[in-house]
Amino acid sequence: MKLRVQLQCKNLHEYLRELSPEILDRLYNHPATCLAVYRELPSLAKNYVMRMLFLDQPLPQAALALWVKIESQKDHDECVLVLAGLRLWHSQQLQGGLQGYILNPVFKDNLRIALLGGGKAWADEGSTLGPDRHARDIDSLDRYAIERWEVILHFMVGSPCAAVSQDLAQLLVQAGLMKSEAGEAPYITSAGFQFLLLDTASQLWYFTLQYLNTAQSRGMDLVEILSFLFQLSFSTLGRDYSVEGMSESLLTFLQHLREFGLVFQRKRKSRRYYPTRLAITLAAGVTTTSSSPSSSTSIPGTGDAGFIVVETNYRIYAYTDSELQIALVALFSEMLYRFPNVVVAQVTRESVQQAIANGITAQQIIHFLRTRAHPVMLKQTPVLPPTITDQIRLWELERDRLQFTEGKFLLEDLCTSGLGCLVWQDVAHRVMVVSPHGHSEVKRFWKRQKSNA
Amino acid sequence: MVNVHKGVLVECDPAMKQFLLYLDEKMALGKKFILKDLDDTHVFILAEVVQTLQERVGELMDQNSFTFTQK
Repeated sequence: MKLRVQLQCKNLHEYLRELSPEILDRLYNHPATCLAVYRELPSLAKNYVMRMLFLDQPLPQAALALWVKIESQKDHDECVLVLAGLRLWHSQQLQGGLQGYILNPVFKDNLRIALLGGGKAWADEGSTLGPDRHARDIDSLDRYAIERWEVILHFMVGSPCAAVSQDLAQLLVQAGLMKSEAGEAPYITSAGFQFLLLDTASQLWYFTLQYLNTAQSRGMDLVEILSFLFQLSFSTLGRDYSVEGMSESLLTFLQHLREFGLVFQRKRKSRRYYPTRLAITLAAGVTTTSSSPSSSTSIPGTGDAGFIVVETNYRIYAYTDSELQIALVALFSEMLYRFPNVVVAQVTRESVQQAIANGITAQQIIHFLRTRAHPVMLKQTPVLPPTITDQIRLWELERDRLQFTEGKFLLEDLCTSGLGCLVWQDVAHRVMVVSPHGHSEVKRFWKRQKSNA
Repeated sequence: MVNVHKGVLVECDPAMKQFLLYLDEKMALGKKFILKDLDDTHVFILAEVVQTLQERVGELMDQNSFTFTQK
């Protein structure tokens, strides 16, 4: 009865919806946040926001409904829900008693500033510090970012060469990706395995969300951190920014970002920092990458678009020499040979079932293979041979031949299907099974029946 | 009168259910664990044998598979 915990990768909107109203209002005080949130809205919602941006009075609901054709009523309703969930607008009574909608005034003002200019400068450019003698170009920034991020992944896989700070290890444990016994080094959990097989953008986003969740407990201000994150996502790659005017908690946050590979700072006390490609892609559309699983996105910065060839005889050829990628492939397959530029592995029943026992699902293995498929593989449809994908799924199903549900078994047929706790019933023999928490409800129901009859 | 038993409901395909009845009869787990046979696809069993049952099913599946390593 083991529950396999699925990693949930929430996107930006779902995360914001969970925040409390006061935090959201404070968040919208910053133009960068408003622009980032606006960017992620569905196009119909964007249209509505634009139309209402310069109105100062509420707009009647009836007028809003007239904007869409009858067939698109469902889209209209969805939009209304999305905008209300993010607290971008609320309904207000007009004179005359009609219900109308008006945009959140804080959001409205800041979006105007974002679109038209004005207001405070978002980020201090490094021009006040003079040209940087140790300037870094974009390539070296990319290399740095990937190197830092891979150290984290290496640490999770357990490579001896990887060493991370105490803080980061603590964060991984809190995120549920690793577990640590008292006094021993942390080891990886099943959620951690699933995390390893995701693509980089999802990994980044999941990690950032976990970090934000723990930010309050560290005494950092959530609003400040989020605004800084959005600000980063709008910065230009390759330009340096100064740390002038950043508060204590923001500076700590900057150090953490430095460790994840999201910004580059030459020394801890440096007064300028460079955002890397990872930071810019972070807020800029994780939703778009997650909604198109079939399109193969190249892993940012690794340089190779895809390196795995899967054959119908269950062999995998991985054209890579990166220790991390090899370790990831070894998670669910048996290594056969290793050459300087290629690694040969075989997907067997034992190796896949071992991976499943560790908590990885067949879908994740297939997703991993598909996203790292070699360009030669991409030319054929479907990308992966159907024999392999079907067999991996069958091997997973083999372990699920029995389904267990806890319950209590009752030998009297009562009309309790309305209570919603029924698991199974046989009317002919007057027997039924209910879930444990439903049992108390059924007992009460039965006592009532007995007293009535 | 209502008889109440605590346990676990198992749902499976008919072939698997026959295997469970076989295990029960042969006392392979050391005791009879099926509390009630409900219908073609459901049985009600003791809660504590779940782990050993999974292992037994795993062994059955292992016996029925072959390895085809081509080095």
